[in-house]
Amino acid sequence: MTRQEKRTLRNGLGFVSPWFVGLSVFLLYPIIASFYFSLCEYSVLMKPQFIGLGNYADLFTDEVFWKALGNTLGYAAFALPLGVVVSLGLAILLNTGVRGMTVYRTIFFVPSLVPMVALAILWLWIFNGEHGVLNHVLGLIGIKGPGWLSDPFWAKPALVLLTLWGVGHAVVIYLAGLQSAPQQLYEAAELDGANWGQKVRHVTLPMVSPVILFNTIMGLIGVFQFFAVPYVMSPRGQPARSTYFFAMYLYDNAFSYLRMGYASAMAWIMFLIILVLTLLALKFSERLVYYEGG
Amino acid sequence: MLKPSRATALPSLMIAAVLVVATTTGCRHDGRSGGPITIDYWEKWTGFEGDAMRATVNAFNESQSRIHVNLLTVSQVDRKMLMATAGGIPPDVAGLWSSNVNVYADKNAVLCLDPYLKREGIGEQDFLPVFWDLCRHRGKTWALLTTPATIALHWNKRLFREAGLDPNRPPRTIEELDAFAEKLTTRDKDGKIVRMGFMPSEPGWWNWAWGYFFGGRMWDGKSKITANSPENIRAFEWVQSYSKKYGATALQTFQSGFGNFSSPQNAFLSETVAMEIQGVWMHNFISKYAPKLEWGAAPFPHPAGRPDLANVTDAEADVLVIPTGAKHPDEAFEFIRFVNSQGGSELLNMGQRKFTPLRKVSAEFLRKHPNPYIEVFIDLAKSKNAFSTPKLGMWNEYADEMNNAFDNLWLQKRAPKEALDIVQQRMQKKLDRGLRREARLEH
Amino acid sequence: MEAKSPQAKFLIHAILIGLSIVFLFPLFWMVSTSLKPIEETMKVPPQWIPSTFQLSNYWKAITYQSDQVGYIPFLRYTLNTLYLAVLGVAGTVLSNALVAYGFARLKWKGRDLLFAVTLATMMVPFPVTMVAVFALFKHLGWIGSFKPLWVPAFFGSAFNIFLLRQFFRTIPEELSDAARVDGCSEFGIFWRIILPLAKPALAVVALFHLLYAWNDFLGPLIYLTDQKHFTLALGLQFYQSQHGGTEWNMLMAACTIIVLPVIILFFFTQRTFIQGIAVTGMKG
Repeated sequence: MTRQEKRTLRNGLGFVSPWFVGLSVFLLYPIIASFYFSLCEYSVLMKPQFIGLGNYADLFTDEVFWKALGNTLGYAAFALPLGVVVSLGLAILLNTGVRGMTVYRTIFFVPSLVPMVALAILWLWIFNGEHGVLNHVLGLIGIKGPGWLSDPFWAKPALVLLTLWGVGHAVVIYLAGLQSAPQQLYEAAELDGANWGQKVRHVTLPMVSPVILFNTIMGLIGVFQFFAVPYVMSPRGQPARSTYFFAMYLYDNAFSYLRMGYASAMAWIMFLIILVLTLLALKFSERLVYYEGG
Repeated sequence: MLKPSRATALPSLMIAAVLVVATTTGCRHDGRSGGPITIDYWEKWTGFEGDAMRATVNAFNESQSRIHVNLLTVSQVDRKMLMATAGGIPPDVAGLWSSNVNVYADKNAVLCLDPYLKREGIGEQDFLPVFWDLCRHRGKTWALLTTPATIALHWNKRLFREAGLDPNRPPRTIEELDAFAEKLTTRDKDGKIVRMGFMPSEPGWWNWAWGYFFGGRMWDGKSKITANSPENIRAFEWVQSYSKKYGATALQTFQSGFGNFSSPQNAFLSETVAMEIQGVWMHNFISKYAPKLEWGAAPFPHPAGRPDLANVTDAEADVLVIPTGAKHPDEAFEFIRFVNSQGGSELLNMGQRKFTPLRKVSAEFLRKHPNPYIEVFIDLAKSKNAFSTPKLGMWNEYADEMNNAFDNLWLQKRAPKEALDIVQQRMQKKLDRGLRREARLEH
Repeated sequence: MEAKSPQAKFLIHAILIGLSIVFLFPLFWMVSTSLKPIEETMKVPPQWIPSTFQLSNYWKAITYQSDQVGYIPFLRYTLNTLYLAVLGVAGTVLSNALVAYGFARLKWKGRDLLFAVTLATMMVPFPVTMVAVFALFKHLGWIGSFKPLWVPAFFGSAFNIFLLRQFFRTIPEELSDAARVDGCSEFGIFWRIILPLAKPALAVVALFHLLYAWNDFLGPLIYLTDQKHFTLALGLQFYQSQHGGTEWNMLMAACTIIVLPVIILFFFTQRTFIQGIAVTGMKG
């Protein structure tokens, strides 16, 4: 290395040094340690005791684990696609050059700023079986609202609804993506005689597909960490564990039962699932996602 | 040769500064300077129950000058204490529930008290058997007591009179209970329930325990779960009979409108429910929020033809423990001993309007006691049919499963036998696994 | 895509207005409930606008005696939250700017590999490291103090490094080159040239972390044990009654107090916010 290169290396490492500490202490070491813990019985009050794959075997026959996993995937199966449809739909509507676009965008965005605990408590009130305003509004149009959070069937849909209220964040992202789409494509499509629906299908969606992919992957990771809202609304997943999500069971294992090894094993399984689903999404997207410029 | 550039200097300085701040701030000081040693005591009570403990703490602090107890009200104290202990900064004394004792003992979260007890000559001879038992696990003592409690049927005398029932004659059998409940239930002109005679789901704290009243138990004390024993199934069929009779949705809606427990809108206090199974503390809430309520307390009814199942009650207690890693365990025990002495215990329990867990009770305590039915609760504590929360390591999960089963059969989503079979299966598997794991670890 | 016909424009407006009402309604209902006397909150059918504006609910919320812990020190929780937010923002901006500079403005051996590793760590969900990090903090004796909640901010985070690095790369190299020729040290370039130009990106990082600190629930939940240290997110839970039934008007007042600063902040920093989000989403 030349003297210049040596100096730049020193400078580079110097600037990046806080991250060295952060990366190794708060990420790399914990990742390795947690993998080791997942192979142990560990209560943090006693030393970890190696039990090999015991935790993973136990998880395999743990009905609560499967229920939590099922709840999380079930919730994701609705929340993610609906989220894309609603947020992208809103973005497309806003992108039509209507007057007051910034005002609408603000209105849709503000709910996504509400702190999660306040969100949970506000919607607890809205979904309340006896005095909740949602059922009264539904009643006004002649629908008898269900028990929402006290009904095992409707509790998860209630949470999906609540999640959809926070799509404003995604709307902003999609809107920015839409606004950067080159006008010529739309003009070309019009010359070809495309109507509104065809324009959306053949120009808008492909243009914005990388963003959809990115948001979906991020959404997947987020769904497995869905914790604060359900924990505040129904810490035991009541009624009948219908809102007991993966992150809640993980937290309970770690901090309520002090079974940290077991919780670590859960975390690693979660990681694996996310990786597999992400790879699947990437593979699946090869045909659907269009990247500008190659 | 290689002078440290500013690029390396600033980040290093920053890291160093942060680490210095991080490692030196936040030191605790104790009585080294010659003053009293302060110990931290986390307790769950608020309101007048908290006041009673506060008075007891003050009495202790004033009775000597070596130790000063600092009482802190903490919500979810069992969880918080466990996490603080896990985090290495537990309080010196924590007020838990008796159901926590065996779990926390197995997790090495609390200190064994036997050395202290032996030294002071305190033991089983001082306490009522059912409560002493709550402090013990695997042959050792892990806690001592603060306030005991038993549960009984509370009934509203005025509503009895209104419904044409003798206000001083509570139901003695389950069948009578059901019949009285029907008479006491009223509806409005649309058929919506306005008042329930009795609801097995109120207050919901003993949803798991109904089996005991029919002669069932939760496990055999060794290695078998008995969730789906015939007695338990019979019990939960009785529970579901209420849901079937009055309508699952109707009851759900009715229940969701109940007010705050500690308020005049409490279901029993607002006369929305005429009979309710409740603990010895209920008298206090009645005095505070519904002083004009005419009420009585009696042992919960037994199935007709089974007088051997009379006087079933859940006997629990609040306990005091010394968490592992406490900074002042000796001083902590001194305080715990005070609370378990006759003077300390009667002061505390008079304040909370409960009875004491001790065998010896002063006549004055009984005479001055504001709860007119206190002897009912004391007698129930001495009953041979008194049960407590099973001392299973996985009790939390078992209780959750039982509560889920209750929810399911209360909403009529599952038949009682089905719901209990599921609990049985799962918990037996868990118990087997737990026992296997224990065996694995013990060498 | 432009909407051409007046019918299309009308339809779109109608849909947007309808949806706007739906989106705003929960917030309106939160404020409305917070101003009602307790009986009005239970009225069936519901009272849309409170008959009186019971502002005393807000005062009561701040001085509330819950059945869980007695007095709730709302003000102290607010100060705790602000303390963590300010420290966190300082650490985040400072450390991530430094690190991003190292990745963006300097070429050195191993840089791209390290950056790739950095990006990869964004995929690691928090629960994977949660237990080990907790054990680490326990052995350091930091559990129960605020430290686990702000010290890590001073050591960078993958997301912010990525964000700032993308931004730093858009600043022309000539500026740096010219300064180097003039004999300016690397740190001087960072401090005097790049940072001032990066103010919009730094503002985004600061805002995002502020929002995150205001919102953070899991962190305080597992690291704070002394109730005196709790944050607003944790304290809000205390308003819920343990035994069924809650004073909803007070709870909504507390909610409003927690939500309001965020909304006000947003209105003052709208452009920065929106731009920041757009940038993060776009670079996927």
